[in-house]
Amino acid sequence: MQFEDIIRVNELTKKFGAFYAVNRISFNIRRGEILGFLGPNGAGKTTTIKMITGLLRITSGNVFVKGLNVKKQIKQIKAFTGYMSQKFSLYPLLTSLENIEFFGGISGLPRKEIKKFQQQITDMIPVKILKQKIMDIPPGIKQQVALFTCLMPDPDIIFLDEPTSGVDPKNRRDFWMQIYKLKKAGKTILVTTHNLDEAEYADRIIIIHNGKIIRQGEPSTLLKNENMDSMEDLFKKAVTDHETN
Amino acid sequence: MLELDGLCKSYDSIKAVDNISLSIAPESLTVLAGADGAGKSTLLKIILGLVKKDRGKIYLDQKPIGSDFSKITSITGYMPERFSLYTDLSVEENMNFFSDIQEVPRRRREDLKQRLLEKTGMLPFKKRRAGALSGGMKQKLALSTILLSSPDIIILDEPTTGVDPLSRIEFFNIIEELKEEGKTIIVSTPYLDEAEKGDDIVFIKNGKIIKQGSIQSLKENFPARLFRILPEGNIFKAIESIRADDEITDNVYIRGRYIKYMQSGTAGFIDRIPAKEVKKVSPTLEDIYLYYERNINAV
Ligand SMILES: Nc1ncnc2c1ncn2[C@@H]1O[C@H](COP(=O)(O)OP(=O)(O)OP(=O)(O)O)[C@@H](O)[C@H]1O
Ligand SMILES: [Mg+2]
Repeated sequence: MQFEDIIRVNELTKKFGAFYAVNRISFNIRRGEILGFLGPNGAGKTTTIKMITGLLRITSGNVFVKGLNVKKQIKQIKAFTGYMSQKFSLYPLLTSLENIEFFGGISGLPRKEIKKFQQQITDMIPVKILKQKIMDIPPGIKQQVALFTCLMPDPDIIFLDEPTSGVDPKNRRDFWMQIYKLKKAGKTILVTTHNLDEAEYADRIIIIHNGKIIRQGEPSTLLKNENMDSMEDLFKKAVTDHETN
Repeated sequence: MLELDGLCKSYDSIKAVDNISLSIAPESLTVLAGADGAGKSTLLKIILGLVKKDRGKIYLDQKPIGSDFSKITSITGYMPERFSLYTDLSVEENMNFFSDIQEVPRRRREDLKQRLLEKTGMLPFKKRRAGALSGGMKQKLALSTILLSSPDIIILDEPTTGVDPLSRIEFFNIIEELKEEGKTIIVSTPYLDEAEKGDDIVFIKNGKIIKQGSIQSLKENFPARLFRILPEGNIFKAIESIRADDEITDNVYIRGRYIKYMQSGTAGFIDRIPAKEVKKVSPTLEDIYLYYERNINAV
């Protein structure tokens, strides 16, 4: 394997005015793993993802993706990364099929290829729904369409920011089976979630709070080390430990 | 007391709300649980007159409201799924603005504002522009603005989507307090964990109520036996291989590090599932939801 650590994050920092949203965090993401990224609201998860994917300027520190520097080689990096944002960045006034055409276009896919994808999604979702405006379809389907568009350029590395927020228990599980399929296909996945049962589906988790990493490791090892039975307890302890320090 | 009688609403050929009848007791917490697109939001909007119903009646304290929805809206606080904040105003300015339009008495306002921001952990961010808040922080601010007016009835459409686990607990503590103060609360949510706090749980699918009851009755009358299985190795691999068995495939699902197996009939296949540990457990609301969700005919 060429890069065991497919992403290296070093002393990464984001300041908004005098406020540190992300404060000198360092971590690596291993090729082919599912990394669960957890933390309270405002912890800095989205900000971190946006810096790694080149959507937000880095205040200080460095990020290397497959050895490429995000600050300098973001164009090349974008060619093999996919990002599904917290509020699914689909165009609400366009239909699903139109969104696929649009995002296929910006990814530089040929027309024939885009047509193929439009055909492909009709196997998953009824055409009638695909022809409705995004703003009129249920979030669970929106989420499927968003993931689909994010996977069209066939990225190696996938960032999913709260893909299961607002999704019901059944669809949440179906979604995780899809994430597992991506892993089996060799993809590297970073996923944020507020559903702590899902944290146990990750190979490793990182918990951040106030822009700092407060725990990281394999879910089962973390639980064992702190002698805890549930992720809820671990999360709570990590957050309160950090706040009282 | 709020009563819904035979409410219906169709869009084209889709029955968004299909003959829903429901009594909502005063000073209670009713939780509407269901998949996306199940009809929860449409139902809530019908109650508020924001969506015109095709059929059915709504009663408030035994009297039909007819087409006068102001009878309800004048005493109700509503947080829609897609709420709006003033992104250019700070957190505090948003609170003040909503206090003004909701005519919150001055002497109550400061105290209430302080308490709500403190409870939601938003106090340190009082001066921050709402547009610069994280997703979950926006959600918390939106809820706080609704609670300012202390309405009699509070309707919250998926208020905790995107809200972190610790804040979610706080949220429901606030709701409990409001209930104790005499409020009637209706909350829709896809998170069944927090639905455990409800007095009455209503499962909705395809616009219909598929099951309803108190937590206790739902748990006591759960018609299947439930096993919690700790698999060997990777959870996804394990469930994939278990699902290859036709007789088990529909009755297993993942939950954290465990696989859950619902045994409905008399025949059990538990012996066929390779496991490190098997334990018979009592169902959570999520298990109960998943049961009725797939066994609609068993209702
Ligand atoms: N443009 C901005 N200006 C000022 N502060 C900002 C801006 N964008 C984000 N922040 C702040 O940075 C912090 C981190 O926000 P971020 O969106 O990364 O949190 P998060 O961990 O993704 O939270 P959530 O779970 O709610 O999505 C928050 O305090 C947020 O208010
Ligand atoms: Mg976020």
